[in-house]
Amino acid sequence: MIIKGLLILAAVLLFVFFLRRSHTARLQAFKRIGFTLFCLFGVIAVIQPDVMTWLANRVGVGRGTDLLLYILTVVFGFFSLNTYLRFKDTERRLTRLARAMAIRDAVPPAEAGSPGGRGVADEAAEGRGVALAQSGRGEGQGV
Amino acid sequence: MVQDFQDVWLVIPVFNEETVIADVLAHVLRTFPNVVCVDDGSSDGSAVRILGSGAHLLRHPINLGQGAALQTGLSYALARPGAEYFVTFDADGQHQVEDVVTMIGVLREKEADVVLGSRFLEAAHEVPPLKKLILRLIALLSRPSRTLGLTDTHNGLRAFNRAVAEKVDITQAGMAHASELVDFLARANVKVREVPVTIKYTEYSMSKGQSLLNGVNIIFDLALRRRG
Repeated sequence: MIIKGLLILAAVLLFVFFLRRSHTARLQAFKRIGFTLFCLFGVIAVIQPDVMTWLANRVGVGRGTDLLLYILTVVFGFFSLNTYLRFKDTERRLTRLARAMAIRDAVPPAEAGSPGGRGVADEAAEGRGVALAQSGRGEGQGV
Repeated sequence: MVQDFQDVWLVIPVFNEETVIADVLAHVLRTFPNVVCVDDGSSDGSAVRILGSGAHLLRHPINLGQGAALQTGLSYALARPGAEYFVTFDADGQHQVEDVVTMIGVLREKEADVVLGSRFLEAAHEVPPLKKLILRLIALLSRPSRTLGLTDTHNGLRAFNRAVAEKVDITQAGMAHASELVDFLARANVKVREVPVTIKYTEYSMSKGQSLLNGVNIIFDLALRRRG
């Protein structure tokens, strides 16, 4: 049956997509084409419901609704994966950003006994608090 | 014998350790002058405690996970002048300063590039039985850890020399970073050595430590990680 082949192909494609994990422009384009086709297909299926049954019979599925379910399953898998990858990507960027901020606003320990070393950290240690120490640094850098 | 540890940097990820961090830092700083604490978005007073302690303080604006905190601290320490050896240390006081001294000794003698602490090398100290089983299982399941012949992959006590520390790039923000590190070490072709360390399982560290269910998370994270 054709449908078996198609579904297996879809599963394999999903897996390949999962392993690649890169957001190239080409992949982006494919995704957009896929989405457009899906929308188009939706409109046709609404206007002409018989099309579903006809298509289902073509690929060896008994009813149009069954085919719809299969397609939906594949599409859902695709979207889940896409969202997952997006989240991962965002997380990675967020981590880099937070790291850069943390290192920029580092508070070295108060240097006891060195008169030249009395800086922001000293004041912070005397109780002005972390938030103040950080904003103090910001001003010092001319923000 | 007084040793000079000016070239050693301790990286301590901190997440809501208000009650113990000051004591742990006071103890550690007696031996090691350079300590960087990465406050991973704690909601308690951890940061204030660190400020008065004499350790360097970095703060993640949001909670990112232990792996991310370690990498942040490592990046910071690498940029400090004169830093040669880097140690990751837990904030809850379960690690022993004496063990760190031993590990640095191994690095200084150039017997290894990386020294990992292991709870299981010698007579298993006071590791709770179920925890022991899970940890050993993770060590056995992970191929790189078998390649390296490691007995304990999830020990927070590790020491790196500069060459290795520069190459470390922890991308797993959560707890899977431990296995990620082992994976990296297996590929990086560096000399890895395990030394027996003592873990003090206090009531506090038990309540803060990873739950056994987290082992499931670790296995999943690893399975989902990018291959090749």
